[in-house]
Amino acid sequence: MSKVLRISKGAEQGVQELLKFLLESGKVKGVLTLTKINNNGAVDYSLITNSEMLKDALPLFPLMPANAGKLLSRFTLKSALAEPIAVVVKPCELRAFIELVKREQGSLENFLFISSTCDGVYPLEISSNGEVAKKLSKYWDAVKKGDIAPDIRPTCSCCKYFLPYNADITIALIGENIDKECKIFLTTEKGKKSVEGMKGQLVEGELKTQEVKNLLNKREENKKKLFDNPALMQDGLSGLIETFGRCIGCHGCSRVCPICYCTLCTFDSKDYENEPSTYETELKKRGGMRVPPNTILYHIGRLTHIGISCVGCGMCTDVCPVDIPLSTIFLKVGGEVQQTFNYIPGKSVEEKVPLTIFEKEELTEVED
Amino acid sequence: MKGAILKIENSIEKTIIEFLKKGLDKKLFDVVLIPVKVPAGDSYAWVLVQDKALLEDANPLPPVMLVQGAKALSSITRRGKSNKKIAAIMRPCEIRASIELSKLQQIDLENICLISIDCPGALPLKDYLEDTKKGIDTFKKVIKEWGNESVRPICQMCDKSVGLSIQSDLHIGIFGAKNNEIYLIPSSQKGKSILEEIGIPAEESMDNWEKKTKEFVETRKKNRKKIQSTLSEKVMGLDNLLETFSNCINCHNCQSVCPICYCRQCYFESEKMKLSSDDYLIRAESKGILRFLPDTLLFHLGRMTHMSLSCVGCGACEDACPMSIKVAQIFSIVGDRSQKVFNYIPGKSIEESLPLKVYEEDEFHDVEKP
Amino acid sequence: MKDDFEPTIIGFLCRWCSYAGADLAGTSRLQYPPSMLPIRVMCSSRVDPVFIITAFLRGADAVLVAGCHPGDCHYIEGNYYTRRRFACLRKIFETLGMESDRIRLSWISASEGPRFAQVVTDYTDKIKKLGPNPAKKEIFL
Repeated sequence: MSKVLRISKGAEQGVQELLKFLLESGKVKGVLTLTKINNNGAVDYSLITNSEMLKDALPLFPLMPANAGKLLSRFTLKSALAEPIAVVVKPCELRAFIELVKREQGSLENFLFISSTCDGVYPLEISSNGEVAKKLSKYWDAVKKGDIAPDIRPTCSCCKYFLPYNADITIALIGENIDKECKIFLTTEKGKKSVEGMKGQLVEGELKTQEVKNLLNKREENKKKLFDNPALMQDGLSGLIETFGRCIGCHGCSRVCPICYCTLCTFDSKDYENEPSTYETELKKRGGMRVPPNTILYHIGRLTHIGISCVGCGMCTDVCPVDIPLSTIFLKVGGEVQQTFNYIPGKSVEEKVPLTIFEKEELTEVED
Repeated sequence: MKGAILKIENSIEKTIIEFLKKGLDKKLFDVVLIPVKVPAGDSYAWVLVQDKALLEDANPLPPVMLVQGAKALSSITRRGKSNKKIAAIMRPCEIRASIELSKLQQIDLENICLISIDCPGALPLKDYLEDTKKGIDTFKKVIKEWGNESVRPICQMCDKSVGLSIQSDLHIGIFGAKNNEIYLIPSSQKGKSILEEIGIPAEESMDNWEKKTKEFVETRKKNRKKIQSTLSEKVMGLDNLLETFSNCINCHNCQSVCPICYCRQCYFESEKMKLSSDDYLIRAESKGILRFLPDTLLFHLGRMTHMSLSCVGCGACEDACPMSIKVAQIFSIVGDRSQKVFNYIPGKSIEESLPLKVYEEDEFHDVEKP
Repeated sequence: MKDDFEPTIIGFLCRWCSYAGADLAGTSRLQYPPSMLPIRVMCSSRVDPVFIITAFLRGADAVLVAGCHPGDCHYIEGNYYTRRRFACLRKIFETLGMESDRIRLSWISASEGPRFAQVVTDYTDKIKKLGPNPAKKEIFL
């Protein structure tokens, strides 16, 4: 059980009011939230300091134009926040940010994290073709019922971590009567303090409702279907070549990946350029060679680098110009790696990234 | 103008491949750089082919452009010349990008024989991937019809896709060719001697083909003006530009697939673009709201200043944009105008210097303020 | 046919232990198959898993990473990190359905010349049974 601030207004309006209160009461200096960008359905994150500008804010909108974890890292990479800022992000975005903080790519200081129970987001494609507006009512229906929303990103439809970790404030959406009331769960002391003075009814509540538990089961089932689908990827090298053969090497997947923080990816660096003589040696062996080379190496390599921290946000799939189901593959393989180390990326900032620590007695099964 | 005539056997593609095989047999070149069907069968990748058997799955004119050919060539010769003689068979815009990259010292053209081919355009990557079988059928029509509107808009307005407007060593004319014939037109000594060695010296008159291609180019030029002027109205001016690029999610796919953008580390992804948290906040406070990340338009305008003089209008950027922004078409408007300032046609000639690398003491007084 | 097959094994050997162990095997005139191409690294933890994948995709039939026994690392704890990274890579290989037998982690100290010879002999036999790496002839990597 935790403290809940209940407002008798729709969830969206409730969050709007919360943000307004936070800004106007001076409890935060700014708010980072999704906002309307144009009239064609585009939304993007904005940093709002003037409460009048909140009119365009769409804090709970089911789209992810960029993983906010990456943005928060950009915000605080050079220096921590000097003044408090509230951010409204999806659970996986918050997890990604925690992973980045562990990698010293950002600072948690002075952030007030607002998140929600999340029913997933739509592929970005439908924001560029303006179809998102048509889907919204079905989305919120699914949220209310605690169903998997139709047509959302594949990795959202099997995400187990839709109750946010590390949020100070969590908006309850799944299975709630979001048209009539907004339940603001105050999950930390910071969260409680921040709403002091705000109108509403302070009650006790439980975030992990039966609807939430049911959705978890549905997603678990969906995950099995998705991961075991033979069409996802065949085993072995030939399977990899089938799936990644059409990759055009744009590396968009790594650029939008919140975990891939390197300024210059090693696979774009000089180290992975070949001398002309290398091609001669390879041609001798194979009689032919794909150029530019290293397509498969790039993807397996990226798995070894970030699989342990993959939060399954689905950005990579969305930006892939050749429709490779990257996020599903990465979540499947990354999930196995994470399980090896009993690690849930972004769950706790104290828990170190498994590859940066060790125990003296462990994993003897991998030694020969 | 003289060229050689090849009788089509089976298909244009197979005829070209047979020609390449002869070249390999006679050791006129050691390797062929050509798109080859990937094992999944639904796409193509550039392959350096030494073993002739691999040419069975090759396609000199695939329905889509996946990796821009110049990028493939650059990955081989960026660090120095190839010791093997490579015959690279590419679309004209890929050849032109290769010429530009050689001027930018990202391709070493020594030992490379550039073979261009009349290009009917390429299908939009998205359309093709939706149904690859249908895409292949559509493309068969495209090759026959010349001017088919299933190809990418940037291809529909391309005025350098056919004929001899570019500097390759050998050009393969398939446009307006009489039934059952394609033409091989050498434009360098390298190309000429290849034809001679194979035993098909360039002795036939190509005047008819040349005339037809020129007519086609004229209609394309008109088309280009038309498409560009319609688009201009929608994108010109700051407000329109902001609106146009408002969908951009900063993935920079456009930059990473652009053959001309050769920097390993793009300036717009470098440390220079990262601000301190105070700076972001100050910028937000000046207007009450700051899109985060900021500077989306700066990226696109900046990229224009960096590469538009060499933009060959290949359309790779537009294909790679996950938000379906008309990047290539917009860049073509800017490219055309900036190139005209210097009377420069990117990829036309290897001898012409990059306009920003040279100057004259007495020029451009019109841009100076008194 | 498989009997004629001589595998190529890339060995990333730590400079302090395993490389010295290989040296000792040589100076002790121990017999072992000439299948291993050693690459000396300062510590087994210098080996980014990507190096292993690179060797594998370039056509090595197997890749061995060898370092000091746990607790004996010249840099105190390098090999513990190696073990974690290797476990991660192996899990990835397994999940992708790739032959994880083609990558191996072994601890060989500077004094274990016979063990080095034994590891190379055993591993070579094992890879001989597995056959050549299919990546060797692959065009579309």
